[in-house]
Amino acid sequence: MLEFDGLRKSYGDNLVLEDVTFRVEPGQMFGFCGANGAGKTTTMRIALGLARADAGEVRWQGQPIDLEVRRRIGYMPEERGLYPKMPVAAQLEYFARLHGMNPLAAKRSASELLDGMGLEDRGKDALEKLSLGNQQRVQLAAALVSNPDVLILDEPFSGLDPTGVDALAANLAERRSRGVPVLFSSHQLDLVERLCDAVGILAGGQIVASGTVDQLRQREADRQLRVVVADSDGNWAHNLDFAKVESDRSGEVLLHLDDPSRDQDVLSAAMAAGRVTQFGWRQPTLVEIFREAVAA
Amino acid sequence: MSVADGSGYDRTGDLPMTSARIVSLIAEREIRSRLRDKGFIVSSIVILVLILGSVVFQVVIQSGSNKVSLGIAGGPQGVSEAIQEQAEAFGLEAEVTEYDNADAARRAVEDEEIDAAVIDAESVVVYESLDDTLGAVINGAVNGVAISDRPADAGVGAGILAPVSLDVTALQPAAEEADESGFVTFVAILLLYMLLIFFGQFIAQGVVEEKASRVIELLLAAVKPWQLLAGKIIGLGVLAFAQLLIICAAGLGGAIGFDLLAEPGQAIVAVVQVLGWFTLGFTFIAALFAASGALVSRQEDLQSILLPLTLLLVAAFFLAITAGQNPNGTLATVSSFVPPLSTMVMPVRVSAGSVPWWQIALAIALMLVAIVGVVRVGGRVYAGALLGKGSVSSSRRLLPGSAFRDRNVRDRPRRAHVYGDLKPGILVRHRSPLNGAYVLEGT
Repeated sequence: MLEFDGLRKSYGDNLVLEDVTFRVEPGQMFGFCGANGAGKTTTMRIALGLARADAGEVRWQGQPIDLEVRRRIGYMPEERGLYPKMPVAAQLEYFARLHGMNPLAAKRSASELLDGMGLEDRGKDALEKLSLGNQQRVQLAAALVSNPDVLILDEPFSGLDPTGVDALAANLAERRSRGVPVLFSSHQLDLVERLCDAVGILAGGQIVASGTVDQLRQREADRQLRVVVADSDGNWAHNLDFAKVESDRSGEVLLHLDDPSRDQDVLSAAMAAGRVTQFGWRQPTLVEIFREAVAA
Repeated sequence: MSVADGSGYDRTGDLPMTSARIVSLIAEREIRSRLRDKGFIVSSIVILVLILGSVVFQVVIQSGSNKVSLGIAGGPQGVSEAIQEQAEAFGLEAEVTEYDNADAARRAVEDEEIDAAVIDAESVVVYESLDDTLGAVINGAVNGVAISDRPADAGVGAGILAPVSLDVTALQPAAEEADESGFVTFVAILLLYMLLIFFGQFIAQGVVEEKASRVIELLLAAVKPWQLLAGKIIGLGVLAFAQLLIICAAGLGGAIGFDLLAEPGQAIVAVVQVLGWFTLGFTFIAALFAASGALVSRQEDLQSILLPLTLLLVAAFFLAITAGQNPNGTLATVSSFVPPLSTMVMPVRVSAGSVPWWQIALAIALMLVAIVGVVRVGGRVYAGALLGKGSVSSSRRLLPGSAFRDRNVRDRPRRAHVYGDLKPGILVRHRSPLNGAYVLEGT
């Protein structure tokens, strides 16, 4: 388990992180969200020892992360960086070996990753000869090549085309299934919603919401009941004294219930009014949850 | 497979990451990437050609072709022919001019029209020194003529007369040995100077490259800054030393092969001590250049920050040349102790004359102390600068002793930010319009 516990960090007068606390379980894909400048990158860099927290610590399996543990972490920095003139395969092997792999295993792992990314014939090319999209893939490969026990990826999906996104998602899913905790930050909330088991939203130097996507949806206090009655106006709903109509558009009614357990009463009323074609609690999208959490 | 590891990856083949392994991995990468770098290879070849060129130039100057020119004044008939024959036997082509008198021949030597003048078949006049081969030619010719000129009736006893021994006079006798090892040392110092600047630049460029390309983030997530610094210094040091060794071996081998050196042993000693000083000087300079490189983020800014260091090397080089002319002067003596000037000045003093052993030992000891200091300070600056913003102006706070060195001082949160006992959920953080500081207020 990867634990971030009470991280505080300021640069000069600028307090970036105030009290960042969350945890990533083994085999969990954790989406790390937040507005620009919220401190996602700083949080990740602290875990990698690239920035020092003023207070708090990051633990892996109960132990504060030291250099030995860091070698087991696959890291993709926000500011991408590899050796521009170094051949791609040699570069991956180098990073694998710096993380402890023996030369043979490093070679094998590097060539497997390149194969998987469709770059098998580019291994001898200098990195700078590759297109930006392919350089991005190599950057990911550098994070994955040592088969790390933990993955910390800063915006890994930005700059990837849909095929690249799918390939990376599949690769991460495979690693998750091995029990590797995966922490990644992203602005693409639809992606986070689709891929992640858990989400943490960072705002104002704190995690303002965290948990599984379902849990976050449950937490949403103002949930709406969505009812569509065919061939009917919304008058039936306006007559209910236990529900407040929030929107009424051509038969589609959104209701707020002070007592959510009375949803079945709403259904009865709707059925009395006509043919109910759709009925259910509306699932807020992550975007809505995010807006809600950041605005709070 | 171990569940405690958190992943099912097989780690049995993993190697323990000792500092030695990490440093050697980094050094290996440095060496490989330099050997792939065309700029590095071309520059190396240029240096090699320059140095070997200057040696070859000396060869040409000193030995010229296989032609020798001799003058003869007085002496028995047939000496001229005998010299031609002898020269042929030695593989030389001799041009012999006969002069009316000894003075004319002497003047010709003085004007360097001829290599040597044979006067009355018993003495030889040369300008600086008599070449061994030429001496043998003259000796053989003069003795041959002396024997054949002996009257046939002189009897057996006269035949065992002592052979004519030549009396050699040099018009401008040179302190040949000192000059020779002095020259070898000069070439070696020039080489050392060029290689220090050359490799210093490469180290600094490599450091900036890692910063500019941001690969440093990945590296420092897995290795310590000092390991990175040590790997770079050792990697490039191996290359530099190999290059120096090749040049010295080729130069020295060529010089000995062409018989340019009267005392090859002394030349070898001169080269060996330069190799030793190079190792010390390189470590010092490399750490300085690496730390300087870490202070800038772009290659464009590199030259200006390296200028003082380059000037330091230039100063050392000129002091070394001065020391060659006056090895025991105050300037030479003092600078032969001051690191890193001693790197170039001390070898010159040593080969120019007798330097007491304790002076050499003191200079080495001072250099070692300086290396320890510069590696420690340089390593700290390097480590601090690598992850900083990397502007030149921020370098002050990275220097040891600076009040800003301690990150805790710099990054300590303001008291106003400590709200440990308040519930964060009900607070709104915003910037104070008065001083720009963040303040928290209840909603």
